[in-house]
Amino acid sequence: MDFLTYLLTGIFLTPFAEMIEMPDLFFQALWDGFVSGTLYGLIALGFVLIFKASGVFNFAQPILVVLAALALISFYKMGIPAWLSVVCVLIMFYALAWLIERLILRKLVNTDGNILFMSTVALSFIIIGAAQWIFGGRPSSMIHKELGFPTGSLEWPMFGGGVYFEMLDISAAVVAVLLILTLGLFFSRTKIGRGLRAVADDPQAALSVGISLNQIWVIVWFVAGVVALVTGIFWGARSDVSFALQIIGFKALPVLIIGGFTSVPGAIVGGLMIGLGEKIFEIYWGPLLGSGVEGWFAYVIALGFLLFKPQGLFGDKIIERV
Amino acid sequence: MVNEQKKVMMEVKNIKLRFGGVVAIQNVSFDIQEGEIRAIIGPNGAGKSSMLNVINGFYHPQEGEIWFNGEKRPSMEPYEVAKTGIARTFQNIALFKGMTTIENVMTGRQLKMHKNFFWQLLRYGPAIEEEVQHRKRCEEIIDFLEINNIRKTPVGSLPYGLQKRVELARALAMEPELLLLDEPMAGMNVEEKQDMSRFIVDVNEEFGTTIALIEHDMGVVMDLADRVVVLNYGELLADGTPKEVQADQAVIDAYLGVPH
Repeated sequence: MDFLTYLLTGIFLTPFAEMIEMPDLFFQALWDGFVSGTLYGLIALGFVLIFKASGVFNFAQPILVVLAALALISFYKMGIPAWLSVVCVLIMFYALAWLIERLILRKLVNTDGNILFMSTVALSFIIIGAAQWIFGGRPSSMIHKELGFPTGSLEWPMFGGGVYFEMLDISAAVVAVLLILTLGLFFSRTKIGRGLRAVADDPQAALSVGISLNQIWVIVWFVAGVVALVTGIFWGARSDVSFALQIIGFKALPVLIIGGFTSVPGAIVGGLMIGLGEKIFEIYWGPLLGSGVEGWFAYVIALGFLLFKPQGLFGDKIIERV
Repeated sequence: MVNEQKKVMMEVKNIKLRFGGVVAIQNVSFDIQEGEIRAIIGPNGAGKSSMLNVINGFYHPQEGEIWFNGEKRPSMEPYEVAKTGIARTFQNIALFKGMTTIENVMTGRQLKMHKNFFWQLLRYGPAIEEEVQHRKRCEEIIDFLEINNIRKTPVGSLPYGLQKRVELARALAMEPELLLLDEPMAGMNVEEKQDMSRFIVDVNEEFGTTIALIEHDMGVVMDLADRVVVLNYGELLADGTPKEVQADQAVIDAYLGVPH
């Protein structure tokens, strides 16, 4: 009976009491969750873009993030000014997108989704090998300072306590929001965006109205590369840049399951749900379960979605006519 | 009646199409004249859809030539064919299911939009004018096909007959010279068929669009078409006016069977 009381108060009372008692801590948790949420969202976004345009789960997306970060640092170390290095990485990604389209996608058009998926697995190993060969495998630190992103932190007195905002987190959130808004407009307003959605819906019909699949694929892989670069800069700035960075790709999976594989807003909302959820849960309910909740929280939520809403919050409903 | 003075718009010559060992089209030649409604008929597996896919660029024949507007056409991808002014609809509706009717129709204007994409992104300056102008044309087509009440409905949820009409609208939005319709009336009830026939005739007469269509319903074909090509087992069986074709013994045999 005592245990039950302990459990019930632990679940239903203490956390909320703590939230009210220490609003500054609660707000801090919200902010931290928001920042990691936007970054999760960014990773997921890279997957969504390619899934939308070609129906492929791009296994190579996390390695693109590593590649972007490594290349950026290497270009800078070669003596190229920081912002020019960014431009160099963008050019490199355009070339890569073109190559991928030429050498892989064009040959595999109209084949089964699994074959395309396997080709992205192969691609990710090729990129790992090539990146190690060209840029070396040693961890190095991100050049965000050189790119002009502010460092340090702000402390706002709030609710009798104080809330810390890392300047880097603020810039990450701002850049992420800008990127997402731009992509949203890109999809809904531009001719290329419309073409992209058309290709995603029905490649054959898209061809018949004069949309070139090849061009769309190059664009979409390039845009996924741009997203990877932004992700790489901000994740790289939080930890070192090394091949271990690709593990963050696993965090994108639950985000995709929650948001739906085909939805840009879904990636963002899913990212925020995971980011906020795991922070809040860790702080307030974590002690009850022992710590380390952050490690598995996302996957449990994703499992719930798979059971009850497999297409995710914003995903296309899959209706098969029998 | 066929007007002998009419200009030939498209000519396919000695087309041969194989898939591995299967011969889909064997040495077929015919032409499509400017302004006419040309029907391609034949039993299942006769190679009708394959023929349309050859004209459209989805299939590339092993042998034969395609002449369009007096020029021999090199081997082209479907999106390049679209640029030359050929639009099509599909046998199993191929719409962009996540988009609304108007968005689907707007994709038909894709090739006609050229403004800078940054302006489109910001919806500013010349890009607005362009968008408005194309939107207007699409609305006209939507009015013409009497689908204004479903303008903003996602097409995935529309009934079959209406989806077919949206597909036609999208093809018309391309303002094609030649319109290919792959079984535009398949799976429709009598009333829907009548509507669709009326639209096809109206498109042909009001827009002056040349139309090549595949159809199973003989009655419909005989009413609609100016000239008919009959295919059977990938070979050309007959070519002529509906009356001539109907009277052709080979055609009757192919459709009704011959006593052995």
